[in-house]
Amino acid sequence: MIAGKRAGDIMIPLDHYPHIPYWFSLRQAMAEIENTQIEVEGQKSLPRIVLVFDEKYNLMGMIRRRDILKGLQPDYVSAKSGNTRKLFNIEVDPNLMEMSYDILIKNLKERAEQTVSKVMIPITHTVDYEDHIMKVIHEMVTYNLSLLPVLCVGEVVGVVRSVDVFHEIAHHIL
Amino acid sequence: MKWFKNLVGKSEQISDKSLEIIQIKFNNFLEILHNNNAVLKNISDMEEKLQGEYLFDLNYIRSTVSEIRKGVVNIINNMISLGGDGYKRLKEYYARIDAEITRILPGGRPIEEDDYIRFFDRILRENAYSVGSKNAQLGEMKSRLALPVPNGFAITAWAYKHFIDRNDLQHKISELILPLNIRSYEDLQTVSRRIQKIVTEAPIPDDLAGQITQSYKKLREKNPKARFALRSSAIGEDTEYSFAGQYRSVLNVRAVELLESYRAVLASKFTPQAIYYFLSHSISEDELAMCVGCIIMVSARSSGVIYTRNPVNAGDDCIVINSIFGLGKYLVDGTISPDIFRVSRHDKAIRESSVFFKTRKLEMHPDGGTVDVELSEEEGRKPSLSDREAIRLAEYAAKIEEHYGCPQDIEWAIDHDGEIYILQTRPLRVITPPKTEIEVDVSGFEKLAEGGYTICPGAGGGPVHRISSVNDLQDVPNGVVLITPHSFPGIVTVMGKVRALIAETGGMASHMATIAREYGIPAIGDLKDTGMLNNGDMVTLDATANAVYRGLHDDLIDKRKPDLDLFEDIDIFNILKRISGHIAPLYLLNSKDAEFLPENCRTFHDITRFCHQRAMEEMFYGASELKNKDRFSSRLQSEIPLAVNIIYIDKEIPEKEKHRTVDENRIESVPMASFWRGVKKEGWPAPSRPPDMKGIFGVFATTMTRTEDDRFSEKSFAILSKEYMILSLRMGYHFSTIEAMVTEQENKNYIRMEFKDGGATIERRIRRIRLLTDILTKAGFENFSKGDFLDSRLSYQDEESTKDALFLLGRLTVMTKQLDMALSNDAIARWYTNDFLKKLGMPVDGD
Repeated sequence: MIAGKRAGDIMIPLDHYPHIPYWFSLRQAMAEIENTQIEVEGQKSLPRIVLVFDEKYNLMGMIRRRDILKGLQPDYVSAKSGNTRKLFNIEVDPNLMEMSYDILIKNLKERAEQTVSKVMIPITHTVDYEDHIMKVIHEMVTYNLSLLPVLCVGEVVGVVRSVDVFHEIAHHIL
Repeated sequence: MKWFKNLVGKSEQISDKSLEIIQIKFNNFLEILHNNNAVLKNISDMEEKLQGEYLFDLNYIRSTVSEIRKGVVNIINNMISLGGDGYKRLKEYYARIDAEITRILPGGRPIEEDDYIRFFDRILRENAYSVGSKNAQLGEMKSRLALPVPNGFAITAWAYKHFIDRNDLQHKISELILPLNIRSYEDLQTVSRRIQKIVTEAPIPDDLAGQITQSYKKLREKNPKARFALRSSAIGEDTEYSFAGQYRSVLNVRAVELLESYRAVLASKFTPQAIYYFLSHSISEDELAMCVGCIIMVSARSSGVIYTRNPVNAGDDCIVINSIFGLGKYLVDGTISPDIFRVSRHDKAIRESSVFFKTRKLEMHPDGGTVDVELSEEEGRKPSLSDREAIRLAEYAAKIEEHYGCPQDIEWAIDHDGEIYILQTRPLRVITPPKTEIEVDVSGFEKLAEGGYTICPGAGGGPVHRISSVNDLQDVPNGVVLITPHSFPGIVTVMGKVRALIAETGGMASHMATIAREYGIPAIGDLKDTGMLNNGDMVTLDATANAVYRGLHDDLIDKRKPDLDLFEDIDIFNILKRISGHIAPLYLLNSKDAEFLPENCRTFHDITRFCHQRAMEEMFYGASELKNKDRFSSRLQSEIPLAVNIIYIDKEIPEKEKHRTVDENRIESVPMASFWRGVKKEGWPAPSRPPDMKGIFGVFATTMTRTEDDRFSEKSFAILSKEYMILSLRMGYHFSTIEAMVTEQENKNYIRMEFKDGGATIERRIRRIRLLTDILTKAGFENFSKGDFLDSRLSYQDEESTKDALFLLGRLTVMTKQLDMALSNDAIARWYTNDFLKKLGMPVDGD
């Protein structure tokens, strides 16, 4: 019954989830995502997020696919901060069609060697192992999160993903 | 490690004398390394030979084993000098392993000085080289297995040497044997007669004679009613070579016959069959010292032989007991077909009893010697063993096999009070059945005879040639199917000529059967009805299916061939294979295991591994654990934020602390400089952490405990000389020790790395070890791994190649720092392997 489900019931144990040290490169984070298949109840999926730990195995943050892509973007197409204007308005710039693909790839490769610590995001919210699934949903919806670390007696023991929560709910509704 | 603590503990200052002591110890250490290198090189060469692509001879085996022995002994001696008397017990473990090698490879080393006499309670199997294998195993079974073994004493190899030397016999014997053509039975007989005459006429030196007589009296005093036998126990007998039935035993020896009997046993080393046997196995006569056992005889009601495995069918699950009435001689010489009891190895239940009519028995004569006794129909048809006795014997046999770790051929006797005695044990050669059962169509063949027991499976064909006694042996032509009424001494001398062998009496437990299996001659025993087989008839014996067909059937012969590799079937190859089993395998791997102890050294490789590890610890950890090490070590100054303390073993230690630094660009150690270049090439992997990401969650994604976290901050430590380095590195949660020697001489150069531990779960740590193994294998390293422990080694490379390999290790050390954390599955581990290979400029599989 859904009423009985807890975060710990639907989480993926930490050891089954990809994680890397903070000094690893974006390229290595991409490899983790591309080479890992997460299997839950027979359904396989690629992870969208890699956890980032420090050298003493403290959980520091996470890096999502979009964070990686953001890190790969050349400076000239991204604003450094809210106050800085972009050099190009890439959404409408016809010059994009003229860009050398080779140069673009070279540039992406160079940027892929950046450490993940530069673009990872901090962990802002967690749920407890015993937390009810409705609390998990509430945290995800309220803070726009697709993954939450699950704590048990103060230690991270796994992660719960929005896809697994969705799957659990759908199973009862459909 | 006391020496190290003492020398730095007494004073705040490091004196010149202290450094001198370190240097002396270091020289012991270098000696260990040098010998270790040489031993491992020989082991590698031996293993290469075992691949079957290179030819070698017995001399190669002898010289290689001799070199390895020398190296291991040097390692042990230097280990004792370096680490103290606590390591002396390694000598005991060395002796035990060496005794096993000696069992396989007779001779090859001089007879060592010993007492002339050793009583059985002073004998263990490691004394085989001193008392011969037969005596040694009796002592072993008595002392270590507490089995019922008759008491007695051994007249040692040293006594034999004394006899030979005092009478100046060696060169006379060698001169006669050297030109001998062993294919001529007549020549064998002539030479045998002449040598035996020389031996039996030579006087036994007084001191030796006195000790033999005294020992006999001593034994007799304790056992006044006992009878005694003098049994051969030659060096090398009952080893890889059985020498089954080749030498003489004199039964029921009285005091007056003692010395004469001793000489008779010594002379039996030179019977025609014994000479043929050792020469046909490329064994030199002077290697086979003849030891003798003086043993209390068991007045046997029944005797026999146990095979702990079925020698002609390795798949058979039973212990096979052969048994007759009286003394065992009639069984082993094939005079009598024995009763056979097959007992399950698992539940010791009797699976099968075959009781035959035993026409006679041999008993001790009250006045000395033995007497043949004819059995009545009623007596002869009784089983020679009760079920209870058979089960008890099977239990003893299983215990003996377990102790020796291989199938055994055991002789036993039961006295008239029903007491069991174990008289002998030796390794049993088991024929592996063909891997595939091949159907042979014999429907068109004319069967001339069938029945009996398989002695040695296979098929062979040729003209029938019958013999009836030893006198017929000289006329046996080449390529025949030999039919003999039973086994007799000397039949071994025609083993090189016959294609197949049929014995009309006697089964698989006779000496002839043992010899036939050793020579790989298809043979059956106890085939009664041979009337259709006439001299000169062309026949084929199918010893696997126990039938004889008219004509030569090559197809049958071909299909019945044992499923053996051609090369492996060669005797020399098997000797090396067996010996290698006591030298090359490595059982001691992880020095952190509780089992990493001298008593667990099962091979010479284990001893070298153990000594190397402990020597390193004596040199290294002893220093690193000292509280005041900062006073005699220098700090490596580097842009890499890794604290490394350095001790130069070949340099003065600066008095002032401010001078105790080593610039990373001026490392005066070739291996360390190369390694550090690799570290710097990669650069420190962990840049300063993002300032806003500190201490978010104090959680562990690891199996480490929090107390182990302290290890993270341990300093790394190096002991260096110009050509040598040993570096203990703590890189996050993994720990590696890299040891290397780089000189201009290829044969001194080597690198060894141990890599262990990690912070992630064991599965991820093992994936990192696999990654390292894959990469290092491609770089030419030899790798041994167990769990998350890796031991890698590269040796015998030139100076530049060794430096390059160290540079690579430096890079890899940094690249793999806490990599285990990221290896969540095999696919990602493969990706990292290939990624690193590309980065290191090495070929990637599939590219």
